[in-house]
Amino acid sequence: MATEAIRSPKAAAGPASMPIRRKAPIQWLPYLLLLPSLALVGVIEFYPFISGASYSLHKGNLLNTGAFVGLQNYQRLFGSTDFYHSLWFSFLFAFFNVLFSYLIGLALALFLNLDFPGRGLCRVLLLLPWIVPAVVSIVSWKWLIADRGGLVNVLLGDLHLGPIYFLSESGWAMVAVIVIKIWRSFPFMMLSLLAALQVIDKTLYEAARIDGANHWQMFWHITMPHLKNISIVQAILMVIWSINDFETPFLLTQGGPSNATENLILLAYRYTFGRNDVGRGSAVALLTLVVLTVLATFMMRQQRKIA
Amino acid sequence: MKTPTKLRLPKTRPFASLAVAAAAAFAGILTGQAREHVDLQFWDMIWGPAEYIDTGKALVAQFNQEHPDITVTYRSIPWSNWYQTFLTAIGSGTAPDLSTGAGYQAVQLYDQGAILPIDDLISAWQANGKLNDFLPKTVDTLRYDNHYVALPWAIDIRVWYYRKDLLEQAHIQPPSNWQEFKSAAQALTNDKAGQYGFVACGDTLGSQWVYTLMLNNGGGLFTPDRKPDLGSDRNLEALRFLSDLVQSRVVNPASAGYKDDDAVSGFSQGTGALTLFPPGLSGRLPKIADKIGILKPLTGPHGDQGTIFWVNNIMLYKQGKHPAEAKAFLEWWSEHEKDLWTKGHVTQLPVRKSFAADPYFQENAETKFILENYVPVGKTTATHATEIFPKLNEVEGEGVMQTLMQNLLQGKDVSGSVKAASDRVKSIMED
Repeated sequence: MATEAIRSPKAAAGPASMPIRRKAPIQWLPYLLLLPSLALVGVIEFYPFISGASYSLHKGNLLNTGAFVGLQNYQRLFGSTDFYHSLWFSFLFAFFNVLFSYLIGLALALFLNLDFPGRGLCRVLLLLPWIVPAVVSIVSWKWLIADRGGLVNVLLGDLHLGPIYFLSESGWAMVAVIVIKIWRSFPFMMLSLLAALQVIDKTLYEAARIDGANHWQMFWHITMPHLKNISIVQAILMVIWSINDFETPFLLTQGGPSNATENLILLAYRYTFGRNDVGRGSAVALLTLVVLTVLATFMMRQQRKIA
Repeated sequence: MKTPTKLRLPKTRPFASLAVAAAAAFAGILTGQAREHVDLQFWDMIWGPAEYIDTGKALVAQFNQEHPDITVTYRSIPWSNWYQTFLTAIGSGTAPDLSTGAGYQAVQLYDQGAILPIDDLISAWQANGKLNDFLPKTVDTLRYDNHYVALPWAIDIRVWYYRKDLLEQAHIQPPSNWQEFKSAAQALTNDKAGQYGFVACGDTLGSQWVYTLMLNNGGGLFTPDRKPDLGSDRNLEALRFLSDLVQSRVVNPASAGYKDDDAVSGFSQGTGALTLFPPGLSGRLPKIADKIGILKPLTGPHGDQGTIFWVNNIMLYKQGKHPAEAKAFLEWWSEHEKDLWTKGHVTQLPVRKSFAADPYFQENAETKFILENYVPVGKTTATHATEIFPKLNEVEGEGVMQTLMQNLLQGKDVSGSVKAASDRVKSIMED
């Protein structure tokens, strides 16, 4: 006797009836295979996060957790000019880094998307700022700009524009830190945008040319729409990396002079290791996370709207 | 008569050996003579050039040879992130038995329950006269909360260096007071040629300019009852003097962004003829060693002299399991550490009079000069408080004085800068 599909009484009544859907049994194997990775992520990501959040509610140091003080650390931060300055500098740093590394990256990506001799070599050379270890590149920059004997000031002197003591004046130190970060960031933008440019259908440009579109019109109406999604993703990543950047200001200026280049991360470092105040350092770190989460959420929503 | 059968006794040899050993051990325990081999961990900061570490290791090897029951392991600790190194070790229960460290490290860690006082050692040395070998103020500097928290081993101090050749070229005598100091700097400055009277820096060494000038003027960071006193008249006078030097454009304009290495480089290149530095600058710049001189301690406008110094020390940790042996090693190390200078070429100064009398120091003109002229006027960051205290480590480590120095080097308003620094110091003290 052939096995027949179980049918409901309605089903037995004729062709218009519906078979009973049995719930498929839960497949436990994928979850079990995921468990080790989840455990590792839990230990590396969630445990430090929970610990940090706990420390931010205590008045402790690096040896003792200290007494529970509730939100006192946060209240002290919100009353501190150092915090607002760090917040302001972090935004400034991120804004200019994202803007200019994107613009430079886009321009270079458009250039490298052309066919010309030596294109491969150009690509490699333009990646160097991103590839060279931060310590090497930042210390090299320091030698270039630290005083009047540095190459930059020698050139400025020849042009009767210098010397400028980039690391010894608060305003110029902020400019220096931002410029060096842009220099280190643009290769990432360039590489991602170049990859996106290379998958744009060339026939679109041919059709536009036939219709009489000029270069700017083709760029604005064909190229940019195809780059929107990747651009927003890059911007989100670059904002996160900028606000989290410790090495650029630390290696160049240690947050000086006069705390001018101290971002949120350096402030957290100073509170924790300079002042032995783990509570307030953790509070800064957690607030930084909140800032980044808000920014990233906002930008992802923009991306969904555009999509 | 039959020969009596020999009694067949069981083989007693192994049992007899065991019984004898057990009896000996038991007797040893009863008499307290059972000896356990002890392992100690000694962490030593890097206090000199490469040969310093080799000398430290050799000294430890010598101790181990002379004390077969104790094995000390020497570990060299870099200064980079030193504070985190010790705190994470203590926090994880892996602190060494003893270590050298920063000037106020012992009091700060004592306050956090990590340091074992050495009152018994000091009492014993007081009784047998060994304490007399230490320079005045050095042992008592490390007294906190009625306990001796560490044993001094070296003095770190700041002195004014000058370029003899540049002063000779400008026909200037080495200055001896603040007015001459400023006049000399003005005469040595040629902005177009990139030469200045002073080269300073904006890092920790730079912050020590602030301490040195304040102490030189009879000021100090604290009142006797440890209240922050940065805004006192003498301190403000000193800081206005420094600001005046900057405004007079006799300080290398790149100084605010300089680290100590950059300042040394500038001094070497002649972009600054006068600078503040620890002892040993001539050794660091051998090519111009004959052109480097040391000023006598400057006399301030009210007749005061002074400079910043720290009494570096060796401390024991409560986590160590063998405090008696650790103290024995501490005592031995303290009495034998002259090699650290004669072979290891430490640039700091010895706290022991017997070491200081050694030809190694007496025949070194620079060291002898500093010992005779600067050490007697050395003062700690805690001046005028009655003793050093834990918060000093945070005051020095938090960056407040570096920021103040950077502000002054940028020509910012003195009153505003001092107010901001005072508030920050107050906040550190209140935390």
